[in-house]
Formats: sequence, structure tokens, C-alpha cells
Amino acid sequence: MTAVAPPQAPPEPTTGVRRREDTRFLCGQGEYLGDVQRPDLKHIAILRSPLAHARIRDVDVSGALTLPGVIGAFTGAELAADTGTFSHHLEAIPTLRQLTWSVLATDKVRFVGEPVAAVVADSRYIAEDALELIEVDYEELPAVNDAEAALQADAPQLYEDWGDNVFLYIPGAHGDTEAAFEAADGVLTERFTHHRIIGLPMEGHGAMGEFDPATGRLEMYVSTQIPHQLRTVVSEITGLSETKIRIVAPDMGGGFGNKIHMFREEVLVAVLAMRVRHPVVWRQDRTESLTASVHSRQQTHKVEVAYRNDGRVLGLRADIIADVGSPELYILGSGPAIVTTAIIPNCYDLQDYAFELRCVATNKAHMGGYRGYGQGQAVFLIERVLDLLGEKLGIDPVTMRRVNMIPDGQRPYITATGAVLDCGSFHDQLTDLLEAADYDGACRERDEAREEDRLVGVGLAQMVEATAPNIHALAGQFGGYEMAMLAVQPDGKVTVVVGTKSQGQSHETVFAKVAADELGISPDDVTVSDGDTGVLPYGTGTWGSRSAVMGGGAIIKAARQVREKMVAIAAGLLDAPADQITVSDGFFRLGEAAIPFAQIAAAAYLHTFLLPPGMDPGLSVIVGYDSFSTSPFPDERGKLNVSPTYATAAAAAVVEVDRATGVVSVKDLTILHDCGTVMDRVVLDGQIHGAVMQAVGQTFLEELHYDENGQPLTTTLLDYTIPTFGDVVEPKIVHRETPSDLIGGYRGAGEGAIIVTPVALAAAVHDALKPLGVPITQANLSPPRLRDLLRGHSAA
Amino acid sequence: MKPPRFDYVAAGTVAEAVAALADAEDARVLAGGQSLVPLMNLRLARPSLLVDVNGVAALSGFEVRNGTLRFGAMCRHRFLETDPDVRERAPIVAETAGLIGHVHIRNRGTLGGSIAHADPVAELPALLVALGGQVVASSTAGERTIPAAELFEGPFTTSLEPSELLSAVEIPAHRQGDGGAFSEFVLRHGDFATAGVAVILHRDGSGTCDALRVAGCGLGPTPVDLSAAGEFLLGESALGSGAAEELGSRVAAAAEPTGDVHGSAKYRRELAAVLAADAVRRAWARAGSSDWSGRG
Repeated sequence: MTAVAPPQAPPEPTTGVRRREDTRFLCGQGEYLGDVQRPDLKHIAILRSPLAHARIRDVDVSGALTLPGVIGAFTGAELAADTGTFSHHLEAIPTLRQLTWSVLATDKVRFVGEPVAAVVADSRYIAEDALELIEVDYEELPAVNDAEAALQADAPQLYEDWGDNVFLYIPGAHGDTEAAFEAADGVLTERFTHHRIIGLPMEGHGAMGEFDPATGRLEMYVSTQIPHQLRTVVSEITGLSETKIRIVAPDMGGGFGNKIHMFREEVLVAVLAMRVRHPVVWRQDRTESLTASVHSRQQTHKVEVAYRNDGRVLGLRADIIADVGSPELYILGSGPAIVTTAIIPNCYDLQDYAFELRCVATNKAHMGGYRGYGQGQAVFLIERVLDLLGEKLGIDPVTMRRVNMIPDGQRPYITATGAVLDCGSFHDQLTDLLEAADYDGACRERDEAREEDRLVGVGLAQMVEATAPNIHALAGQFGGYEMAMLAVQPDGKVTVVVGTKSQGQSHETVFAKVAADELGISPDDVTVSDGDTGVLPYGTGTWGSRSAVMGGGAIIKAARQVREKMVAIAAGLLDAPADQITVSDGFFRLGEAAIPFAQIAAAAYLHTFLLPPGMDPGLSVIVGYDSFSTSPFPDERGKLNVSPTYATAAAAAVVEVDRATGVVSVKDLTILHDCGTVMDRVVLDGQIHGAVMQAVGQTFLEELHYDENGQPLTTTLLDYTIPTFGDVVEPKIVHRETPSDLIGGYRGAGEGAIIVTPVALAAAVHDALKPLGVPITQANLSPPRLRDLLRGHSAA
Repeated sequence: MKPPRFDYVAAGTVAEAVAALADAEDARVLAGGQSLVPLMNLRLARPSLLVDVNGVAALSGFEVRNGTLRFGAMCRHRFLETDPDVRERAPIVAETAGLIGHVHIRNRGTLGGSIAHADPVAELPALLVALGGQVVASSTAGERTIPAAELFEGPFTTSLEPSELLSAVEIPAHRQGDGGAFSEFVLRHGDFATAGVAVILHRDGSGTCDALRVAGCGLGPTPVDLSAAGEFLLGESALGSGAAEELGSRVAAAAEPTGDVHGSAKYRRELAAVLAADAVRRAWARAGSSDWSGRG
């Protein structure tokens, strides 16, 4: 083996088209689900519950069947008779209510939008007309749309056999919080709230299914972040072997975690394709995506903090209530709330930490994944605690952080919840942030603005992110490894297939470079694809900032194996020991002698008589890659290391509040970001820009509303106000590069900025309102919500 | 998100359009379609017949008649916003049209369509009230005019008969000494206003305010006439210290907003105060300026 070439320094951002996906996407040549056509394609429309909570007495689809153009109409009971059911696959968690559910509701509906019946017709128009001819006899039940109300003894029960509405209860006790509270100089008590929002991909969910009775094969195109796991679930529910199912995730208009869940509707498409024997498609419309996909974030935290008068936090107790809506979602929609409990210590030396988590079922759509995945709420809690405590004690935010920070040099540092942190110096990172943001200057300008009676504030936040996680504890049968296939073709060009499905993250560009660097060739000679279960045996998908870490690692591992074989071939041809062969610029070299890369490829496939004696022909591998450093389940003390590495980020924000309207202007935002080895600076910065925009949306613009009867009020993009280009905040981005010990040195990117930015903004708004004495303890800082706070204070 | 079945007729003349409206039940006029078509896709509007008036040439353009500007109902927002003649003769119309949606929406949306749709948060109905304008309703029985004060009956409800086509909109032509401003609060560029306030006033040769009208959107179930809140400014020759804020307070007190996901009633009142103060300041300055063109 020759020495591995050192990784090249990340290129500085350049202008012009340099992502290979750009031309396709920007010229309308992508193939999204809506572009997948079949000559005989039929359309599915889904009848959804208009009630938040009701028993289904009867569903009569006969009227729908009379409409010309209708192929079939199906009730939940009919489909349930010969299809399997979903479950969370988490029998190992005793405090989780075990549930099963079908592709359509059968006995009860528990949120407005729950699927009740389905029509297949020649067009979506006809299918929607037919829905109006289906008669459902509902027995309406009282609904509960708020988690704290759902915990009351007299609250309506979503599942009568539970006796309450607590879907999942997890207590945790780490260290000795009792001793910490006894030793404390004081106790700070706070309550933090996070409003309900949604990670809303531009392209909604959807699936096309085509069943061939002659071969017994089902082919599906699904807009999903996890095609392989979905295949497993489709297999479980349809009874088809995984060998008979091919799932392709085509080009995707975003996922953001919404598409890590296996939807009833996606499996319904499979079931209906097998029944009607036509290719069928369901494409989620915007109202469906807003009311019946995956909501996120809504939590309430009550926290008690034992502190010393020098600012040191000695112990912390958190009582966390997550409003998970309908829990009938796989993978587990309570996952983000579990992650919240694990991340609360963040980058601070906080070993005496206890929590109670209650995930409460309510008559609302599912709670589940959205970029950040519960970590933002955790970071919000601890970062706000430090600022509020600092204010109480008269200690500035920087000192509060330094006093509590995990000390340098102690690596790995094992957190209270068991995370094995491999991060660099948090102190140095904060120093870099303060310098990049000109923190002292910003504070001076704030002070001057206050003299002019302007509400300007500066906020800081830091975060540690559990990247590339193992999700056995959240998804039962799925872990966190990755697979890749790499084949050098006879012409010397390289095919890479990886299990991390891109939803817009430029994997075709960055992974080509990763493979090319290992093979000593140009990225132009590498073609990358993903998202096809027919090509790669398995993969774990793209979520959890995992693609660089696990997908990139798998590709490097595969490339090294292939290169080793090519070096052996070259050594044979050059009649030299393999360890004297070097690889660079498309040649295998020995001194002055050089054999082109393509010539080795030709030997492996075409001129196989040139191969060393006994060597098998061909140049391809399929590898599985696991870090072997994560745990599937918590140990007996409740400690769990979920991630093979941890990324870090920090943010500084400067804002100005208009007290009359509640509008917050972000004057300056600096993001310091350490995701280990940087694959591609432009692509990475694009991830951060997008995450900042979503952070701005969740902080200032977005909120899902339900009325007291559980009717959704934000059903179109007129009412659910996501940021547009008029709302762009352009951050200043600074990278630190602390390589991890994993293959490639990656730590993972994509979510850091959305985790750390909201609380930095909240801290800045708090600081801006300091002259008025209006504390910020909520994530929702939209103009009307901020006015609500200001109105409550006479000085405002 | 697909509409139920409907019939469609493309009218070539006003006569054809009103004949089609007279013959059908539940017919709706298709103008720019920026509100109606989404409502149909959501199945919240279910017309049996769409009478498309996009091809009716007589509904375009505008003319001056005896000190009145008469706009064809099919004047697009973008035309109102950019046409030099409109900007000269009706600068407040140009300013207000420019606040609507995004360019793509303004390219399609129409003056008559917006007014007939009567969305309580839309800008042009409120402007019509502030200007004291009127609309022309055409039917097989002929034409009648409906003053703005008698047009808006409730959210998305007007006094137009189902058989009537809103064919024209009439407002007083801009005079020397007129000043107007439309101030609105939007959460995002291009949104419907959470609240908006139009102030239209006139100052005579000596600078004294001798007419002042105020109307708001997002401040009630219809565009609301808040002119009474501004009566204290009549006869004033200067907008004194605190006068704009005083108007704001009075407008906020007079408004009857309701809450929705975009803001509570309280929040809308607070916005009304800010917006009215801003609008009267701008309108007052414009009325005193010799060359207000709507750009200032």
C-alpha cells in the first residue's frame, strides 16, 4: 500500500457553476416524483378526517364507485383485512405505549387530516370528486389540542386503554443532583416554550407504485430520505419479500427530516398498486403537507438550576413535556424529544443532571423530525439558563460560558448522558467567535444605541451536535451504519453508489471529489448516484448530519479497497513490490514509469491475462461502514453514546427591536462552525445559509395553529408563513476545522446553524429588551408574539 | 387540491358576460383569478360556471370624465402601479397597487376583481373607501353605480347581485392640494396586510386641511371607514406635535379588528395606530408638495 495522499485544503468559495447538479436542477431537467410518468398512471386521493377526534362507525364508498373514471375506492377496514400493520419496533422500551396502526384509520381518527379512505381514479380531479361521494359516519369525541391540558385527569383520552395521554415517559438521573442542590448558593427556576412548526420541503411527500403480477415485483418511486428502510417497512406490511421490492428516491425538493418517517400514504400506494394492477401515484398537496405530515419542535420545559454565586451551574433538573400529536408515526416521532433530554448539558461541564420527559398524545398531526431534531430546544434551554442566571448574578454572558464550559484537554469528555465528546477546545472556539463577530464592538454599539432609546441587543450561543447517530433507540430495527458501492469501469471511469440519499445537498458533487481524491483521479471521472434499492443492498439514508461522516467514510473505505487491488495489478505489470507504487494524477507510478489509471481498469475487465496469477477479474466492491463507537441502547445507568463524533458551532447575533410593531431586524449574525474536515466550502456554506433561513423562519415567522376543537388554522402558505427571499439574513461564516478520528475526519454538517441560531437570536432580543425588563423564555419571537410580551410590561 | 367540475365561457363583450351571468346559477366572474382559482382548488368556492372576462376589451384602461377617473375593472395591478398616466392622475392608486402581492400576482390581479372579492385584508377595497369612490355594476338590466360605502357588506360579501358584473371603478381625479398615503404592515414582503391604513386629505391654497378621509384594511369585517377619527384635523394648517399619534390613537379606538393567525385584535389595533400616524404624516407632506407623483 502506498501512503494516502493528505487531504487537500478546502477550496475557498468561488463563483460560477461548479456543482454538477446545478445545470439539471436550474434548467428544469431534474426528475422529481411529479415527473415520474407511466402510460397508464392512475391517481390516488385520500379522504381525511374533518374531525380531530371521532370514532368511525361506518365508511361507505359505494357512491364513489359510481363516478365515471373511478377505478376503486377503499376503506381502512377493507385494506386492513389482508395487510400488515405499522409499529414503532420499540418493544424494548417499557415506558412506551405499544401501538399498531394500519395504512388507513379503521376504528378511530385522532387528528384532522388522518387518512380514512382512498380513491384511485383516472385523474386527481376525478379522485377528489369521488372523495365527496364517500360517506363516513363519525361519532365525534371531545378533542384535546394542548399537551398540558391533555395531562389533566379529566382530559379526553386518545387511547382509552392507556388511562392517560402519556405516550412515552422517560426519567433520567445522572450524577447527584440532590447534592448539587444542597450545595447551591441559589436556585433559578424558569419555564421555556417552543411553538409548533413544520419542516416544510418545497416538494411534498409522494409515491408512485407499479406492481407486475407476472414477476411479483413492486417498483416504487418515493420522495423519501430513507428508501432502504422504507423498503423494509413496505415488505413488512405488504408481505412481499424485499427481493421483490425496488424503491427509488428520485431527485428531491427537500426533506428536512419530514421525509425520514415512513408514511401510511407511502405504504398505501404499495398496497393499492398491488390491488388495482395499474401504476398509481399519490402526490401530497400543500394542505396535506401542512396538516397531515410531520410537525415539529413543540415542547415546554420547566427547569430548576442549582448555581453558585460565581456563575457555576452545579446541577439542573428539567421537566419536559413534548406535544407529539398523533403518535402513530414510524420512525418514532418522539425521537426529537428524547434527543432534547440527551443534549441539554451541551458543551458545559454539567454532570449532575436529572430530567423527566413526557411525550403527550394530542389531537393534532404527528410530531417528528425536522432539521435539528430536538437539539435546538436543548441548546435553547441551557444557553438561556446561562444568560438569565448571569443577569441575576451580574455576570456577563461570556464569563458565564467560560465558567461552565467543558475544560480544554479532557478528551474524550463524557457528558452526564453518556455522549463521548471528541470535540476541540470550546474556549478557543468562543474566542474565535468573539473576534469574528467583533463582540466587544457590537456591545459598544448596543450601548450607544440604548443612549438613543433604541432597542439593540447582542446575543451569544454555542452548541454541540450529536451527528451521524445510531438510531436503534428511536427506530428499533435501524441503526446508523452506511454502505457504498464503488466500481472502476472498464474505461477507467468510476461509478459510486451510496446509501445516503441526497435531497439537495450536492452529494453528486462532493462525493465524486471524495472518491477521486482517494483514487488519484479527477472528480470528472466519477459518477455518483444514490437512492435506489435496486443497486445497493442497503443504506441508512440522509438525516442527522450523517452523510459526510458515514456516506463519505463508506466511499473512502470502498475506494481504498479498490485502489489496493489496482496497485497490486500495477505492481505486477511494473514487476515491483506494491508498496513502491504511488498513485497520482491518474497514473500508477514507479519512479519514471507510469501506467494510466484506465489501463489498469482495462486489465481488470478486458485484458485479464495481464492480471497477477490467481487474481479475480473486476474492480468493484460493496462495503459496509460502521464506526463501532456508538451504542444501540442506553446502559443500565441510562447513559448512551449515540454518535461516533460530535460537531460544534457557535453564533453571535445583533438585533434591533421595533417596539411599536414587534418587528426584529437582524443586524448581524456570525456563525462559527466546526464540522471537522471540510469537503467543499461552497456546499457547506450553502447548508449554513439554508439553516439560518429556517432558523429565522421558526423564530420570527412560522407557527402552526389549531383552534380549541383541534381544527388546523394554518392550512395554506397564506397562513403558514415561511421565509421568502425578502427575509434572508446573510450570516458571516467562519470555519474551524478540527478533524475527527473517523475515516475522512468529518464531523457532520447541515444542522448546526439551525440548532444554534434561534437561541442566539433569542438572547439578542432579550438583551435588546433589557431596558424594558422583558425576559425572553420562548422560541417564538414573531412580531405579534413579541408585542404580546411587550404589552405585558408597562414600560413598553 | 383540485377544483370540482365547472363550466366555462369566455365572454368577448360586457353584454355577453352579463348574459352568461343572468343565465346561470352560482356563476362567478373570472378576472385575474389570483383569489378565486386558489379558493376553487381548495373547494371553498364552487361556481357552476366561470365567466372569463379577460377578453373583454371594454373593461381595460381608464378615462377622465368630469373630474372623475373611471378605471375599467380589468385594469391589472401592475398597470396601475407602473402606467405613467395613472401615476400622474391617481398617484395613490399607483402606490397602493404596488403594495399588492408579488409582481407575478400584480401582473394578473385586477382592480375590479380585488374589489368584488372584498377580502377584508385587501388594499384596494380600503383605498376605494378612503377615496369615497364608487363602482359600476353592469347587468342585462343596464348599469348602476354603487358607492363604496354601500358596497362592502361583510367578509368576501358585497351588495353586487349575482347577475351583476363589476365593470368599472370610479374615483375622484387628483387635484392640486390632494395628498394621500397607504401604510400597511406585512409580515413578509408580498403578504396580505395584517393591517393597513389609507389617509386621503386635501389642503387648500393656504395649506389648511379641508378634507380628510381614513380607511383601513385588516381592521374589521370589511374595509372600514375611519374618517371620523380624523375630523379633529379639519381646519388645521399644520400637523402639530403629537397630531399624527393622536390620529393613530383615534383610529385604533375606532377600528373593530378581529384576531386570526396573523395577529390578535389587540395587535391589529396597535398596528393601526402606527400605520395611521405614518400615513397621515406622509399624506400631509404630499398635500403640501407641488409635484407629488406617487413616487415621493
